[in-house]
Amino acid sequence: MSKLKQLAINDEGFVFDPTTGDSFMLNKTGLFIIERLRDEKTHDEILDSLVDTFEVTSEEAERDIADFQTRLRAIGL
Amino acid sequence: MDKVFVAVSGINAVDNPGPGVAVARSLKEDEELAVQVAGLAYDAMEPGIYMDWVVDRSFLMPYPSGKGQDYIDRLLYIKESFGLDFALPNLDAELPLYIKYADHLEEAGIKTFLPTKEQFRLRGKDRLVEVAEKIHISVPETRAVHSVDALVEAIEEIQLPVMIKGSYYHAHRAYTTQEAVGFYNKLVAEWGYPIIVQQVVTGDELNVVGIGDGEGELLGMLGMKKTWITSQGKVWTGVTVKNERMLEAAANLVGEFEWRGPFELECIVSGDDVYLIEINPRFPAWCYFATGAGLNLPARLVRRALGLPFETDTDYEAGKLFVRYTYELVTSMDRLQAATTRGESP
Repeated sequence: MSKLKQLAINDEGFVFDPTTGDSFMLNKTGLFIIERLRDEKTHDEILDSLVDTFEVTSEEAERDIADFQTRLRAIGL
Repeated sequence: MDKVFVAVSGINAVDNPGPGVAVARSLKEDEELAVQVAGLAYDAMEPGIYMDWVVDRSFLMPYPSGKGQDYIDRLLYIKESFGLDFALPNLDAELPLYIKYADHLEEAGIKTFLPTKEQFRLRGKDRLVEVAEKIHISVPETRAVHSVDALVEAIEEIQLPVMIKGSYYHAHRAYTTQEAVGFYNKLVAEWGYPIIVQQVVTGDELNVVGIGDGEGELLGMLGMKKTWITSQGKVWTGVTVKNERMLEAAANLVGEFEWRGPFELECIVSGDDVYLIEINPRFPAWCYFATGAGLNLPARLVRRALGLPFETDTDYEAGKLFVRYTYELVTSMDRLQAATTRGESP
C-alpha cells in the first residue's frame, strides 16, 4: 500500500512511480480504483462505489477489481 | 562579484558527449557567479569551441599523457592570457594529471576540487566489489582475471552469458566461451590487465550524480532513470527518480570514503535489487539535468572550492523529464582557422 501512496497520479490518469521512474496510463475505472486503494478503502467499499458510479453489475465490478489488482502486482505495486 | 575564470574540459558535445558543455552551461546559469569559461579542447572540431554562449574562449590542449608539464604550462598560459581561477577537468584521462599537479596549480592561483589519488583508483572495476560492500549496495557477481584459464574458470562459476570488461573502459556481452575469449584478447591488447568477468544483470538503468565535500558530506545529488538511450548506451531521455537505496549508496560513498569532488554512480535496478555497475570520478555528460531540476552542482562545486556561499538544499522533484536534442550552428571558417593555427578561439 505504501508503494501506491508514493505514486504521482494526475487527473487524467497518468501515473509516475518516483522510485523506479516507470510511468503508465490508467483508464477511468483504473483511476477510480487506485484512488480508493490509496485511501485505504476496503474491498467491499470499492466494489459498492464502482457499481454505483459506473452502473455495472457487482460481478463485473468484482472482475474489474481482480484484474486491476493482478496488473498492479505484476508491476510490483 | 568579480568575474570567476573557470577552465572546463570535455567540450566535445558529440553523439558520445563529454560533460564539458553541460558543466559550462550550468556555470553560466549561476549569474551571480559571473563565470568566464575557458573551454579546453583536444581537437579543433569539438563543438564547444563554437558555442560562444557557453564557452567564452577555447584553447587546444596537449594530451594529458607523459609527465604532463606541457599541459600544466598551457594552463599557466591560459591564466596569463585569459584568466584562470579554477580548473574543472571532466575527462577520466585528465584526472591523474590534475591530481598530481593540484598543489602546483594551487600555488599558481588555480584551484581545483578533485578526488584523491586513492579515490580515483576506486573507479577501477576490479575495486567494484570492495566499494559496493562498503557502501551497502549489491554488485553483479564479478571476477578479475589475468589469464584465459582464469577466464574460463570464472565463466564456469558465473555461467553464460557474461559481461567481459576492461578495468576502466569498454564492455562486451559474451554468449559463448569462445566469444568471451575473443573479447578478453581484444581488451587485453587495448587496455591491459585485469579483465573483469561479470554476471549479466538486467533491469532499469538508474544513475546518480553528486558531489562530496571531502569531509564526508554531500553537497547535493540527483538520481535519474534512463528512459531512452542511443546505440552507444548514452542517455537521450531520462526522468528524475528517488530510488532510496541508490541515493543511500551514493551518500555512503561520500561518507565512507570522504569522497571529494563530483561523481556518478551507474546502477541497474531490478525490483528491490540495486546493482552498482560503475563509478565515474567526475560529472557525467547528463549533469545539466540536475541543474535544470534545481540543483546546480557545477556551480556549487566552484563556489565551495572558492569559499563562496552556496545553496545547501538537496531536495529535488521526482518526475522531471530530460530530453536531449540535436541542433546546428553556422559560423565563419575563421573560427576553425583560429582554433587550428593559433590553438585558441575566438
